[in-house]
Amino acid sequence: MLRSLTHHWRVNLAVTLAVAVCAAVLTGALLVGDSVRASLRDLTLDRLGHIDTSLVAERFFRADLVDELAALPDFTAGFERVAGAILLRGNAVHADTRARASQVNVFGIDDAFIELFDEPTTSAVFQSQASDRQPAMSFARSSGQLFPSIVINASLQRELGAVLGDQLLVRFRLGSEVPRDTLLGSREAEDVVGTIRTSLVEVVPDRGIGRFDLNPHQASPLNAFLSLNDLQAAVEQPGRVNSLLLDRRGDSDADPQPLLVTSLSLADIGLGLSAIEGPANTTLIEIESEEFVLRPGLVETIEAAARDLRAPTQRLQVYMSNSLRIADRQVPYSMVLALDVLDDSMPFGRLNLLDGTPAPALGADEILLNEWTATELGASTGDELRMSYYVVGLDEQLRTEETRFRMAGTVAMRGLAVDADLTPEYPGIEGIDNIADWEPPFPVDLSVIRDVDEEYWDAYRGTPKSFVAADTGRRLWSTRYGATTAVRVAVPAGVDPATFSFELGSILLERLEPQDYGFRFVDIKSQGLEAAAGATDFGQLFLAFSFFLILSALMIVSLLFTLGIEQRGKEIGLLLAVGYPLRQVRQKFLAEGAAIAALGGVAGLVAAVLYGKLMLWGLRTIWLAAVGSPLLYLHVLPATLVIGFAISSFAVVGSIWITVRRLRRLPPTRLLAGVTRMPAATVGQRRRRGWLAPLCFAAAIGLLAYALAGDQASNPGIAFGIGALLLTAGLAAFATWCRRARGRVRSSSFAAISMAIRNSSWSPNRSILSVALVASACFVIVTVAGNTRDPAREAHVIEEGAGGYDLIAMADVPIHQNLNDVAGRFDLGFDATAEARLKDVRITQLRLVPGDDASCLNLYQPRRPRLLGATDELIDQGGFRFAALSAELEASPNPWELLRADLGPGVIPAIGDANSMQWILKLPVDGELIIEGERGEELRLRLVGTVQDSIFQSELLISEANLLRYFPGRSGFSYFLIDAPAGRDVEVAASLEDRLERFGFDATRTADRIAGFLVVQNTYLSTFQALGGLGLLLGTIGLGVVLVRNVIERRGELATLRAFGFRRAFLARMVLAENAFLLAIGTLIGSASALLAIAPRFALAAVELPWGALLPTLAAVLVVGMLASLVAVIGALRVPLLPALKAER
Amino acid sequence: MDLQVTNVVKQFEIGDTTVPVLDGVSFDVAAGDSVAIMGPSGSGKSTVLHIIGTLEPPTAGDVKIGGRNPFALSEPDMARFRNESIGFVFQDHHLLPQYSVLENTIVPTLAFAGNAAGEERARQLLERVGLGHRLDHRPAQLSGGERQRVAIARALINRPAVLLCDEPTGNLDHRAANAVAELLLELHGQESNVLVVVTHNSDLAQRFGRRLELREGRCFEV
Repeated sequence: MLRSLTHHWRVNLAVTLAVAVCAAVLTGALLVGDSVRASLRDLTLDRLGHIDTSLVAERFFRADLVDELAALPDFTAGFERVAGAILLRGNAVHADTRARASQVNVFGIDDAFIELFDEPTTSAVFQSQASDRQPAMSFARSSGQLFPSIVINASLQRELGAVLGDQLLVRFRLGSEVPRDTLLGSREAEDVVGTIRTSLVEVVPDRGIGRFDLNPHQASPLNAFLSLNDLQAAVEQPGRVNSLLLDRRGDSDADPQPLLVTSLSLADIGLGLSAIEGPANTTLIEIESEEFVLRPGLVETIEAAARDLRAPTQRLQVYMSNSLRIADRQVPYSMVLALDVLDDSMPFGRLNLLDGTPAPALGADEILLNEWTATELGASTGDELRMSYYVVGLDEQLRTEETRFRMAGTVAMRGLAVDADLTPEYPGIEGIDNIADWEPPFPVDLSVIRDVDEEYWDAYRGTPKSFVAADTGRRLWSTRYGATTAVRVAVPAGVDPATFSFELGSILLERLEPQDYGFRFVDIKSQGLEAAAGATDFGQLFLAFSFFLILSALMIVSLLFTLGIEQRGKEIGLLLAVGYPLRQVRQKFLAEGAAIAALGGVAGLVAAVLYGKLMLWGLRTIWLAAVGSPLLYLHVLPATLVIGFAISSFAVVGSIWITVRRLRRLPPTRLLAGVTRMPAATVGQRRRRGWLAPLCFAAAIGLLAYALAGDQASNPGIAFGIGALLLTAGLAAFATWCRRARGRVRSSSFAAISMAIRNSSWSPNRSILSVALVASACFVIVTVAGNTRDPAREAHVIEEGAGGYDLIAMADVPIHQNLNDVAGRFDLGFDATAEARLKDVRITQLRLVPGDDASCLNLYQPRRPRLLGATDELIDQGGFRFAALSAELEASPNPWELLRADLGPGVIPAIGDANSMQWILKLPVDGELIIEGERGEELRLRLVGTVQDSIFQSELLISEANLLRYFPGRSGFSYFLIDAPAGRDVEVAASLEDRLERFGFDATRTADRIAGFLVVQNTYLSTFQALGGLGLLLGTIGLGVVLVRNVIERRGELATLRAFGFRRAFLARMVLAENAFLLAIGTLIGSASALLAIAPRFALAAVELPWGALLPTLAAVLVVGMLASLVAVIGALRVPLLPALKAER
Repeated sequence: MDLQVTNVVKQFEIGDTTVPVLDGVSFDVAAGDSVAIMGPSGSGKSTVLHIIGTLEPPTAGDVKIGGRNPFALSEPDMARFRNESIGFVFQDHHLLPQYSVLENTIVPTLAFAGNAAGEERARQLLERVGLGHRLDHRPAQLSGGERQRVAIARALINRPAVLLCDEPTGNLDHRAANAVAELLLELHGQESNVLVVVTHNSDLAQRFGRRLELREGRCFEV
């Protein structure tokens, strides 16, 4: 075999090279996939350092918890290290230049945190970065340094243009124990946004600690580090942190959650137990929350715990009324207590009427007044009392409501009625000497406060002045956080109150799930590594992109190998003639083919590494928009090389086997005579094939009509179907023509051309193969060009994708005011000039649950996509163009209403962008994505519809009602859709960004946002186009090979023509014309099929094909093809006359 | 138009060895005459024919057709000369498989533009060779004799002054060979050209006006 291989070395070398190309492209594509995954993995490991597990709580907790955990033997067995830190999201502003960066991670860290990144990275991703200097993370102030030190990473430095010593203002969301969308929560900007002025002392590179981020994204985060103490002071949380970061010991799988339970105190979850004096020398334990409301589950847990301790409980709900009025008399700002009237057996004290009788049970519209209030209002039993009070609406704005009650009696000023402990210590109220000095988080009109009110305050503080039934309180003043403000537990007689309190607290800690309070550990590293598998398999993607390249290489392998076999036709004939079985002859050639495949495959693997490198270079440079990270480097996995070698060898041997199999169709006598052409198809075969073209054409036209009539113009599946059918029809028609070869060769000036056209039917299979390849590649190129999006020309698409909104904005710190309301804007500091700029501007404010970017801008597989709460306003107004709707739910004229569908508990209807759902989340309509809710519970997001080319590519939309139901902690609005008057979008954006700078408000034109997504889409398309083009190039080289082969086989024919006086120039023209004809036919069939396939999209919208880019590409194809054919021409001219004529004998 | 072959020498260089094939071959053929060249295999019969047909230049000596030495012409002019003045019939018909009978016949007229009458003449010639009813057939659909008749029609399409036939019946059975020979002579009579036929079939040779024999590189009148 070796002698045979070396004897025919020329053709075998050519086959080996073609095999190498095939193996290189195939394996290279797989290596690209590996490299992207491995690079993302490297980035994950780099950004997390030693951090394996993290806990980021919604609330701050004692930093001592770190030491307490670390002291537990079970903890040290499973974990190497633990660090407490403050992790916040905010923005940074250069104090001098006002350069601004939003979406900044603000970290308060200590040495324990820094130790989590103590080893320099060894990742290949960062080997290209020159500096290995370990930056000093020291926050010590230098002499004369006024402001706290800050260390930022290189990305943030670039954004701000800052140098060491510059002052940076860092802003962040201030935590609040009281939910901001309740009456007692502060929504004032200064309470919501914290600011710290800092001095820049160090810039760390974007790796290791500089890249630290809990969210997976390939883009470098913007990080600002402060010392833990400085940030604790700035957020007014001394001695507290909001996160724990754990370094797991080896491959330990210890669960830190149970250990956390043993260390947590009730104070950590914001609960306070206090002993108060009850009636008749009893002691009561009062349980309150820092939120000023106890969540329903918590109340039930407390009651159950008390029951177990045989202690009775009492729920209290205290609310602030703005006024109590009877006729024209009023009592301003007083507390109202909602409770169930208790019987004598209860140890909590009672309300007694003036005559000493117990207060009666109250109806829904009944109220009791204490004696002082009844006197002030001149109230008698049966009078109508109007109570006004604030409630907080869904839009987080205070609204005054009024309820009418019937006066049911007057309560004597003794016992429970004068218990000042009933009212929690409200911020801005409790501890203030005079009502006139109150600074509550809601607006009060202090001018209505009278001297008698101050006297009551002095005597009774916030003791409630009125009493309603518990049900009435719940009905009027419940929030999604609950209604009960405190639960009292009576210490049983004879039990030591301190012991009882400890026992109650222990039971509560045991029974309360820490995750319900946001204390939930997440295996952040393993999640990150899972996400590093990527949303898009770049291996598959590049395999698809390289499809035509691989196909071309395989075609060339087949052609060259066939050529090799045909050159040895006489040898085969001889072997058969002397009695070798056909199978043995086949095996001999197959073995030779396998040897060549192996040799070429090995060479291809070397080339694959280079090809992979080239593709990754492309992704880092010309196709950067598709990946958004220059940190992708080649990773060569031996397994991939083996797989690539195996697949390419299999494909090559398969292609060779098909060639060898055909040997049976040629009898030894013909082979011995040097005949290697396959016999023509039978009449029956031709007839059957003749039907193919009209059938496919008719089907394509039918599909085209359906697409145009059935509103399916943008359906890519249908477009591909039309294209594939037309391509098949065109190729089948060409095949039929080739086999029949109609048209007559005539004497004329165009004789060379007419002869060339007829000559192309000389070897129908080869011609059809060549045309098929060129046509397919042209089809890809034109289709890709047709799908390339030009934002400048697609104003209508952008308009639909933007839902009529001109601007989209996000805020790092949620805003609680109503930006559509003058008062809300006033609170936020909008002056007259800014007001004027916002005239006729409409802003839709949405709540956002942070999560992973679900758009094509994120290479990682999003695990929990960002969620947006669609308000009723957004749902009702409809708009946007829907790509698909649930088949299971009945659609209303406004598909947005599907978001309101009740799909059962834990199942949430969601709408997303069609592209993000299809390519990134891979979530079909009616499919479900399982995510964790705020408390770790399983939620199923069911996709009920998708919108096309929308601004919502990064998030999923659910109804605001569902968002609040399942993510009750989400207060404030972080996502804004802005409808600005024509031509004023830039001005409106500037005004809002200026006024709301401290919130990190960042507005973008919706058109720019959609265009940004289109750029990514276009980059993928251009990758496809580039590799498709390479495939086409190889295809045209294949075409050249076909022609050279034809020329070699037809040397006798060419010699005959020369014998009849045909000049060399004529023959050159003829061979060139043959190639041009095949190229032209291929280009025509491919381009026409593609144009018709995408025609519905063009008919639907006034989009234009980018002829400017397309025509030169197609022209280049023709030119390269013609250049390749020059080789054939040279071959034609070199044919020696007599040997060729004699060879035919 | 006469054919004059004067003292033609032809040697082939094979590696370092010079192989003499023709060693001063001379003969004349007048217009309207036919001549058969005979000789054993390897005697140089086909080489003489190729030299007359300008497919190969002589090592020495002259060939004149109508008084012109075609080897003095440039390659393009020689090609045109060959196209207009010489017709070939090969032992292997060398028909182009992708073309029909009619198209194969007109192929020589396609080499130079302006020969529009070619098709009509091709039809007439094919009629004369008895294939008028098979104009659209492909070579693969014809018998060996029929293919050779198409080759004869093709050779005559440009009314060549010299018709050169290299073993025209070599691949045919006896009956078909006779028919082809008769056809050749009949058309030769009608066209009044110089007919040179190379054959080692003495029966066929007997039917031509003169017979020459090649022996040891020289030519002898038989």
